[in-house]
Amino acid sequence: MQQLLYAAEVSLNGLTTGVLYSLVALGYVLIFKSSGVFNYSQGVMVLFAALTLVGLQRGQVPFAHLWTAMFGTHTYFFGWTLAPAIAVILTLGIMVLLAILVERLILKHLVNQHPIILFMATIGLAYFIEGFGDLLWGSEVKKLDIGLPVGISETVEAWTAEWFGYGFFIDRLDLFAGLVAAVLVGLLTLLLRYSQLGRTLRAVADDHQAALSVGISLRLVWVFVWSAAGFVALVAGIMWGAKSGVQFSLSLIALKALPVLMLGGFTSIRGAIVGGLIIGVGEKLFDFLAGPIIGGATENWFAYVLALAFLMFRPQGLFGEKIIERV
Amino acid sequence: MLMEVRGVSLRFGGVVALDDVSFDIAKGEIRAIIGPNGAGKSSMLNVINGFYRPQQGDIWYRGQKRESGKPHKIAGEGIARTFQNIALFEGMSALDNIMCGRLTLVRSGFWKQLLWWGPAEREEFEHRERVEHIIDFLEIQAIRKTPVGQLPYGLQKRVELGRALASEPTLLLLDEPMAGMNNEEKEDMCRFVLDVNEELGTTIVLIEHDMGVVMDIADRVVVMDHGQLIADGIPAEIMHNQDVIDAYLGVAH
Repeated sequence: MQQLLYAAEVSLNGLTTGVLYSLVALGYVLIFKSSGVFNYSQGVMVLFAALTLVGLQRGQVPFAHLWTAMFGTHTYFFGWTLAPAIAVILTLGIMVLLAILVERLILKHLVNQHPIILFMATIGLAYFIEGFGDLLWGSEVKKLDIGLPVGISETVEAWTAEWFGYGFFIDRLDLFAGLVAAVLVGLLTLLLRYSQLGRTLRAVADDHQAALSVGISLRLVWVFVWSAAGFVALVAGIMWGAKSGVQFSLSLIALKALPVLMLGGFTSIRGAIVGGLIIGVGEKLFDFLAGPIIGGATENWFAYVLALAFLMFRPQGLFGEKIIERV
Repeated sequence: MLMEVRGVSLRFGGVVALDDVSFDIAKGEIRAIIGPNGAGKSSMLNVINGFYRPQQGDIWYRGQKRESGKPHKIAGEGIARTFQNIALFEGMSALDNIMCGRLTLVRSGFWKQLLWWGPAEREEFEHRERVEHIIDFLEIQAIRKTPVGQLPYGLQKRVELGRALASEPTLLLLDEPMAGMNNEEKEDMCRFVLDVNEELGTTIVLIEHDMGVVMDIADRVVVMDHGQLIADGIPAEIMHNQDVIDAYLGVAH
């Protein structure tokens, strides 16, 4: 019984990790669904958003290391701190600016190109942003603290202890992340499904020429989509950053979103969420059950193998659109 | 005149797609463009809706010379079109495809749509109502929720026409609306084109290969061959024009 409850707790923690995967995956889905581009740089955008947020909040001097190397300034901080809300809004502004630059400098020149070309462009972009973020804010591990609830939720512990005689340890931050994810997904789903804006985005993903012919400006749509993905990246960056610090391994964790997408389907917001939860619970539970037997560290590969196995049965993912060509 | 095409030339590298083409489109007429394959008909349509920018010549629309050639802006000026090889949004239902046609008429901005309640919602219902009229008109009620990728060819063409109509265009460009249809489907399509023209007063430019259809429904006909305009007149004249007969039927050289 004790063992079973412990497994339940592990699953629950898996769920909350899964929510974080989902948040990252959501960014990929947004761009893929509405412009047909697989944006490899989404993970790095999460990192960049978190770095920028921390940097602005702590009043870091941008390019401090560069200035120091060139002019010997040795000034790393302006000496002020910004209120979290203001830092978040400014960061959002910078993500929008990034979206505009991406459209101006990259996408604009690649209209009507094959998706693989656009994919390659985003790989280049990913490494550029990574290097740029490093240069801009420095590479040391940073603590992200914007006043989100942290620590073990005593309410949940007391409550579960009373009911099951076993107190579940759930991080408050995880609960909060779950809530944020739920709201975000709800809004995005409604927007994409029921508004003219949503139709516009899907139209662009389907057919550039037809979209133009009904009066859609591709450039505006791309800026919007990348801004929205930047926003989602910021949310994911805040959650991940608050949980495990802002560091470069974040962009690697973000790659966990790939098996999530394979499982859930690249075009489905629902899929990103369900896929994230399955992967989150799956890898935690598998590690708990099989880890001791086969020697641990299964979390690194389990998600990918699960997704691979899944692909055999349902290549389009759980909720992905099955494209049926009429022949 | 609703539109005047003045001395338009379009080249792709060394290939001359359009060579000094001039004609006009009167308000409320059905104007057919005919000609053998490769005559430049589709290129002409692409110039009119802004996909191609001619190297020489101008397009005058509603008495004004066109300055910028951005296709999405031109769509906003009331020029809608269909495509020779159907360009629908495959992932969407017929209804959503037609709703997309109303994008140029959407007034609620981004934030209002984000909020959804209130003006955006009311507007959506308005658009939906107009779209339902179009669906009734085209007799595609039964397939409104079907993803268009699954529809047979003839119905896809009809949905595409619906999407173009949804924008309540002043000028409607139809690129081979009846290609690949059987006789019954062709008759339906002819009826739709005529009804749109008569009831809504929409000016229509259509490219069509079926001469019977063209002679029946067109008010005036432009004939093209090898990128050049070789004849322009009412169907009765065109039918007996020697140049047209030679170009169309081929003449022994």
